[in-house]
Amino acid sequence: MTTFQDIIHLLTGTPLFFVAIGGLTWGILGGALPGISASITMALVLPFTYTMDPAQAIALLACVYIGAEYGGSIPAILIRTPGTNSSAATVIDGYEMNRQGRAGEALGISLMSGVVGSLFGLAMLILLTEPLSWLALAFTPPSYFGLGILGLSVIASMSGGSLIKGLASATIGLMIATVGTDPISGVTRFTFDIPDLLGGIEPVLVMVGLFALTELMSQSGSTTVLQLNETIRIKLPSWSMMKRLKRSQTIGCILGLFEGLTPGGGGSIAAFMSYNEAKRWSKTPETFGKGSEEGVAAPEAANNTVASTALIPLLSFGIPSSNSTAVLLGGLLMHGLIPGPRLFEQSAQVIDSIYVGSFIAIVAQIGVGMIILPACIWLVNRPRAYRAGFIFALILSGIFTLNNSLFDLGIALALGLVGYLMRIAGFPVLPMILGVVLGHMVESSYRRSLVLSGGDHIIFLQDPIAVFLLSIALIFVVFSLTREFRDARKTKIEEAHS
Amino acid sequence: MSKDLISGVVLLAISGTYYAWSGGIADSTLSDEVGATGLPHVLSFVLAILAVLLIVRAILVSRARTAIATGADDGSDASLPRAIGFLLLGAVYVFVLPFIGYVAGTALLIAAVALYEGAPRNWVVLAAAGGGAVLYWALFVKLLGVHQPVGSLFQGLL
Amino acid sequence: MNLMKSIGMAALGIATAAILSGASAMADPLPYPNKVVTLVTHSSPGGGSDVFLREMTKHLGKYIGATFIVENAQGGSGAKAMARVATAPADGSVFYATTPTYIYTSLMSKPQNTYKDLDPLVNIFADSEVIYTRTDGPFKSLKDVIEHAKKERGRWGAANPASLERQAAEQLKRAAGVTPAIVTHEGGGDMMLNVLNGTLDIGIGEIQELRSQLDAGTITLLATFNPERIVEKPDVPTVKESGFDVSLVKFRGLAGPKGIPETTTAIWDEAIKKLLEDPDYKKAYTAEVLVPQFIPHKDYPAFIDNFGSTTEAFLKSTGAIK
Repeated sequence: MTTFQDIIHLLTGTPLFFVAIGGLTWGILGGALPGISASITMALVLPFTYTMDPAQAIALLACVYIGAEYGGSIPAILIRTPGTNSSAATVIDGYEMNRQGRAGEALGISLMSGVVGSLFGLAMLILLTEPLSWLALAFTPPSYFGLGILGLSVIASMSGGSLIKGLASATIGLMIATVGTDPISGVTRFTFDIPDLLGGIEPVLVMVGLFALTELMSQSGSTTVLQLNETIRIKLPSWSMMKRLKRSQTIGCILGLFEGLTPGGGGSIAAFMSYNEAKRWSKTPETFGKGSEEGVAAPEAANNTVASTALIPLLSFGIPSSNSTAVLLGGLLMHGLIPGPRLFEQSAQVIDSIYVGSFIAIVAQIGVGMIILPACIWLVNRPRAYRAGFIFALILSGIFTLNNSLFDLGIALALGLVGYLMRIAGFPVLPMILGVVLGHMVESSYRRSLVLSGGDHIIFLQDPIAVFLLSIALIFVVFSLTREFRDARKTKIEEAHS
Repeated sequence: MSKDLISGVVLLAISGTYYAWSGGIADSTLSDEVGATGLPHVLSFVLAILAVLLIVRAILVSRARTAIATGADDGSDASLPRAIGFLLLGAVYVFVLPFIGYVAGTALLIAAVALYEGAPRNWVVLAAAGGGAVLYWALFVKLLGVHQPVGSLFQGLL
Repeated sequence: MNLMKSIGMAALGIATAAILSGASAMADPLPYPNKVVTLVTHSSPGGGSDVFLREMTKHLGKYIGATFIVENAQGGSGAKAMARVATAPADGSVFYATTPTYIYTSLMSKPQNTYKDLDPLVNIFADSEVIYTRTDGPFKSLKDVIEHAKKERGRWGAANPASLERQAAEQLKRAAGVTPAIVTHEGGGDMMLNVLNGTLDIGIGEIQELRSQLDAGTITLLATFNPERIVEKPDVPTVKESGFDVSLVKFRGLAGPKGIPETTTAIWDEAIKKLLEDPDYKKAYTAEVLVPQFIPHKDYPAFIDNFGSTTEAFLKSTGAIK
């Protein structure tokens, strides 16, 4: 086992310190570039790790992952473009705060919430890997179906006033998710013999199209001048603010912990759900969507927690729960390390360097953030005409890296138009994004469950986790709907009085 | 006609088209009972119902308050043609990229968008476009090692 | 597979890479018409074929006098990689790392360039497709599994939809005359969880993905679809030996554009044969449980064509393609 001295040695003696900070910085850069997901950022450094010491190589990849999960929030706040899938929920209030000239504050909150989430995730990874890995094992196809439905239930409260429009938007999102190869039979659906569509439409294309391009389009030729940030200073949350954010961060951490354990959305479900829950439990739910600090803190705590807890099933079973951990698995295998229970006994050095490296990276994140964030704010405060050109070029370049495909650029542009029309017609875009993210999981786990049971739906009631998740989903929907109707009636009465 | 009414009709059309397209999905014995067409059929059905609800509501509302002009707040200031024009610049970029390559294409895009957004026509636009393109090239091609299109026009040079 | 041994092996691999420049002077690499050879894979960095290629290129320089570059042409399950290679110059500078995926993609989604537009070069390995179950489960042999499936509804897992694993499951089903539910997954990891937690009786997948669980002893191999027993796992019978006439070869080889000169293909024939005998490389691929299966250039096209037409017949019979 590790001695205290070993840890000190790792902290000071070897260049692990530089590996961690280098990995973190690279991760933030990659995560912040739209279209370049955490997994691509990791895959890009993978070849370089080949000649490194195995322990440092794996620590490097883990630190890149931490950086990338955090980095995704920067463009989400500054240019309404989630850098990674899991930062989509951060767009809602983060970008709103930026529009109000509070970019420095929003970035400060996302930075500190990210650190809180990462530290919590790391603590879980170090202390509770074994018990938590058994929880990961308990997830069967019906449980995944429950998880997917729970994620979709958020739609009920994210429809922004019109439930019909919210549901229609979600339905179209689910339709987009059916494009590609059928998860059960392998036949192609809606691909029109175009090879680029075989793998489906990447959620990030939908997010970039609906969020970023739509925003650029509606700013185009706009007469109202956007509130510019007066200062490029990053305002870290004060102690009293951190206390106020405690509740939303706790929600984010807990949901992130569970999502990290389960193969699936890779952080996006936890981010959306924690946003929703933070709103429900907040003392000021009415500020959500209008630049709420808690609305930034919750999803950021959640997706940063995932970056550490996703390592639990990977290290204990060798099962990657997301694309990013799949790259990490590739890294382990390249160095001849086989993840599994025996990795902890026989390659304790690798495990230690993941722990120590992650810890260094998380702490360093504050410093690195304070250096690069002001520059980012400065960049987006350039005159509008140039800014629009640079953002547009950045987005299109980033999307191209997904598959080296111009076809993807065309899809994103088309979705930009869709998003713009939806905005004019008053359709909320968030349900559509949720539909795209979750559609595949819901459909495949539903059908897989029925194959298992021979077509009998009773299987969903026989699985305790599924029953639990589905009941919560039901409670969510009922609560959201009653609140929605109550609010609707209230406004009607107010209208009648005025 | 109100926006909701138009939206409802468009949604109905989407639902129908999607349903028609789902007829092209192969029917495999490797599939399960729900089948590859199961969810698509349910989705087109659900969307059709939502579309009809939206249409009915739009008609009822418009009957109820024909007199009240709807103070349409579409949450955006730009006019539709202007916004679409912006998007078209991107479409042109995608179209010319295989010919002129990443650096020239990106410079053109930045310059075109800047001018479209009302930047004064002077050397600043050129400098920003050129500098921006080189910066992005360094970032994506050199640092990240992405194979951005070289451009068939310049292929002989490299 | 002992873990310490494999770590040692990785260290050894790195050491080999380091002395490679020196070693290549001692060995005698065959002269090659191109300075740089690009090996294209459809898998992303860290994925199966990618790891295979990067490991192989470490050793290949000793036998072919060229520099090897691995290029990831992801997207379209191989459609993009096939297009990339089919349109490349046929001078031996670009090859594609083939797996059955490229045949399935060619047949299922009919891209512009299919496997028929490529010239199979040589085959290098066969991956081991295996049937496995959890160690503390009720099944001790493939016979137990089949007996169970006869009495009540069996639950079998296949790693991917419309894949070689799925085909294996269907053929075993027919050979044994049982009708279990076959649950397809997206990748082996997901399926392994369901085997471990008892949702599935057995899983059918690649042995590479099971290494950590085999190592920990939580998973037991019941049989392999390989025509012969796996050298590393001598007590695992083949499916055929267990009494069901099904065998499969999940090939791993190279293919290039049509019209590669014969002098070039001859170099590869010789180099790959030597490469498979290379002691350093042998250690590395044995650890990965890859079975060397060299098929020279003159026989390889026939092998691929046969694989293609068998697969096509299977997919047609199920209605997956018309």
